[in-house]
Amino acid sequence: MTARALMKRPAVPFVFGVACLLALIALIEVLIRAGLINPFIVPKPTEILWSFERIILEEHVLPRFLLTCGEALMATLMLSMTGISLGVLLHRSRIVRLATETWVAALASAPLVLMYPLFLVIFGRSAWTIIMIAFVAALPPVILKTLEGLSGTRAVLINVGRSFKLTPSQLYWKILFPSALPTIFVGVRLGMIFALINIVGVEFLINFGGLGQLVNELAERYDLPGTYAAICFVILVSVMFFMGTERIERWLRPGT
Amino acid sequence: MPAAEPILVVENIVKRFETQDGVLLAVDDVSFNVMPGEFVSVIGPSGCGKSTLFNVMGGLLDGYDGRVTVGGDTVRGPHASVGMIFQEESTFPWRTVVDNVAFPLEIAGMPKAERIERARHFVDLVGLDGFERRYPAELSGGMRQRVSMARTLASEPKILLMDEPFAALDEQTRLLLGDKVLQIQQDLKQTTLLITHNLTEAVQLSDRILVMTYRPGKIKRIVEIKLPRPRTSEIVSSDDFGRYVAQIWADLREEASKGLKDDESRVARDGGRRA
Amino acid sequence: MAAEPWLNPVTRLRVIILVTILVIWEAVAASGILLREVVPSIVVIGRSLAELLFHPDLKWPVDIGIGGLRFAQQLWVPAFYWHLYVTVMEVATALVIGGSAGLAVGLALGANPFLSKAFERYLYYLGPTPKIVFFPVMIMWFGVGPESKIAMGTLSCFFPIVLSVAAGMRQIEGVLIRVGRSFRLNTWQMVTKIYLPAMREPIVNGVRLGMGVAMIGTLLAETKLSNKGVGFMIIDAYNTFDMPRMYAVLLTLFVVAIGANALVGRASRG
Repeated sequence: MTARALMKRPAVPFVFGVACLLALIALIEVLIRAGLINPFIVPKPTEILWSFERIILEEHVLPRFLLTCGEALMATLMLSMTGISLGVLLHRSRIVRLATETWVAALASAPLVLMYPLFLVIFGRSAWTIIMIAFVAALPPVILKTLEGLSGTRAVLINVGRSFKLTPSQLYWKILFPSALPTIFVGVRLGMIFALINIVGVEFLINFGGLGQLVNELAERYDLPGTYAAICFVILVSVMFFMGTERIERWLRPGT
Repeated sequence: MPAAEPILVVENIVKRFETQDGVLLAVDDVSFNVMPGEFVSVIGPSGCGKSTLFNVMGGLLDGYDGRVTVGGDTVRGPHASVGMIFQEESTFPWRTVVDNVAFPLEIAGMPKAERIERARHFVDLVGLDGFERRYPAELSGGMRQRVSMARTLASEPKILLMDEPFAALDEQTRLLLGDKVLQIQQDLKQTTLLITHNLTEAVQLSDRILVMTYRPGKIKRIVEIKLPRPRTSEIVSSDDFGRYVAQIWADLREEASKGLKDDESRVARDGGRRA
Repeated sequence: MAAEPWLNPVTRLRVIILVTILVIWEAVAASGILLREVVPSIVVIGRSLAELLFHPDLKWPVDIGIGGLRFAQQLWVPAFYWHLYVTVMEVATALVIGGSAGLAVGLALGANPFLSKAFERYLYYLGPTPKIVFFPVMIMWFGVGPESKIAMGTLSCFFPIVLSVAAGMRQIEGVLIRVGRSFRLNTWQMVTKIYLPAMREPIVNGVRLGMGVAMIGTLLAETKLSNKGVGFMIIDAYNTFDMPRMYAVLLTLFVVAIGANALVGRASRG
């Protein structure tokens, strides 16, 4: 087989990517052992690997993981209900849309999560602070995506509905909503990912709750390998979230 | 053909649009009838108001002068006896082929098992058996347009309106789908009104062709197509077919070139910034 | 023709909504249902805002002069502007570093399917992870000063920019590339004359997203550990329990962020 033909095989780039990643990790290990990287700044990758077991067993990773997931699900539930309803409201009432769509878009570009100290005053150091800040910060994109999906329904599909003499509510439930659903889910997914990011972030910042707090605690204890391992764990969780929701999204666009 | 009451009557339709350059007269005093079982085409260059006429007859547009009646009822909004097939891709991407076709039956409140059964019949009719469980995104453009056709036929309209249903397809597919339409027409005795800008398609399918003028759209001539039925796409190679095409092109040519000139002067005037 | 209404209906609705919100706020503030500190009167917030923006309480050592002429060595300014300056510089530096890295890597990934298949999935997965958890590491690498905040901003904005550049490059219509090749353009000309102009929109979009997350990354890091910047002001107001001041800082911050976003957005329309 020629080199060119080999490059074309689909598994090759994947293997190459993994190999590069492993090589990089090995290189870091070697550099630390050779004393070229300060081990008090970057711990040895093998050390991080060993500390996985420790943080899973001693730092209650599973309950923390469940707590973070629970907060994220609660926030997502609130986001979907409120965001989709507000999106529908804006779509149904032209004047409300004209008056407020730019406001919502503006809020979507404001760093709303910076309000967390305010929520801390209102709700105290509790899970509600975390859930509410995630909810507020991720709400604008859900509203905007719902609105985009509903108003993106192609005119000809609405005409098909009218040609079959659909009632306005049938038109909404049989045509507008299903046509908008993939885009609405993009919004919900965006909101969910936003919520997870903000939840872990605020857990870290206020040192309360799930996985975010774990990173903070280990860092404050100067447990270097533990901190790195906890960060890896956070990455793992968000990748899982991301892939899971991506699968649902694909399922909502059948046949493509 | 026995003398019967016309099923579709179009009387003195005039439609104007407000545009930024003033009032545009799109359709000017158009009248014609369609008899039961008849296949009539309306042909004209782009911008002759054919699609406006389609929307008026389908009840999707109001604010016009004149009257459209279907089986004696004046059209106000979409009429139950009229089925429409649109130019654009109009299948529902979230439904399978059979669920797309079952849509009008579902709206009519038919129980699930029964409507799936009925829908399968119409899926077979357009030659898509075996694709019932596929989604539109898995089908070709020609297949999707057949799904739309089956969906509209499933509502068993007394009269079928088609707005350039094959415009987005290539010529070969168009001819073959034309065969399908001819066969369905034969089987169902379906009264059909086709809007098109395609000469061969119009002659291949029609009993009568209404040639329209370019802006404002009026009926310039009515041509009876006395080609034998049943027909297939092979008819396109006959001498009579050629004569009809030539005759209609002679009429159409003048209108189409008016349209072309109009486009050029508009672009020149707007400095080519707007289409 | 009907008489022109005093306000058009949309503006009227906006005014109604705003007035309603303010009235409810003021009513809640007056009634004391919620803590007075959480919902202070609008007047109090307004006073705080005015103080924040107009009360000079910091000597800013700036050297203003043209040639040999010195106008001032120091300026009395409200401290807010100095903190804002710190944050803006951090975000801007982060955006320059993260943006150029994102553009370079994005172009490489967009141009080379092999690299894209080998590495893009990792970027795609790392994109939506909470970057703030890297902050302890960044402190260890870059210290507690502005450098670690810049690092947070850079880390945050790299991902959206690289991903939208790579995706944008693949979306360029093939015919444009064939046109460029037919004119025998070299690689540099292909990049500057075909690829970049054709990708204007995804690039601007990426920068816009990147700026948003860079701001969040930098500001959150400032609230965690710093002694300057807008993030520090917010957490300082929290620590001194000066809620009106926190509202004032947040409002101003949001206005600045929304304005900056709109400015970048305008660039895509040219």
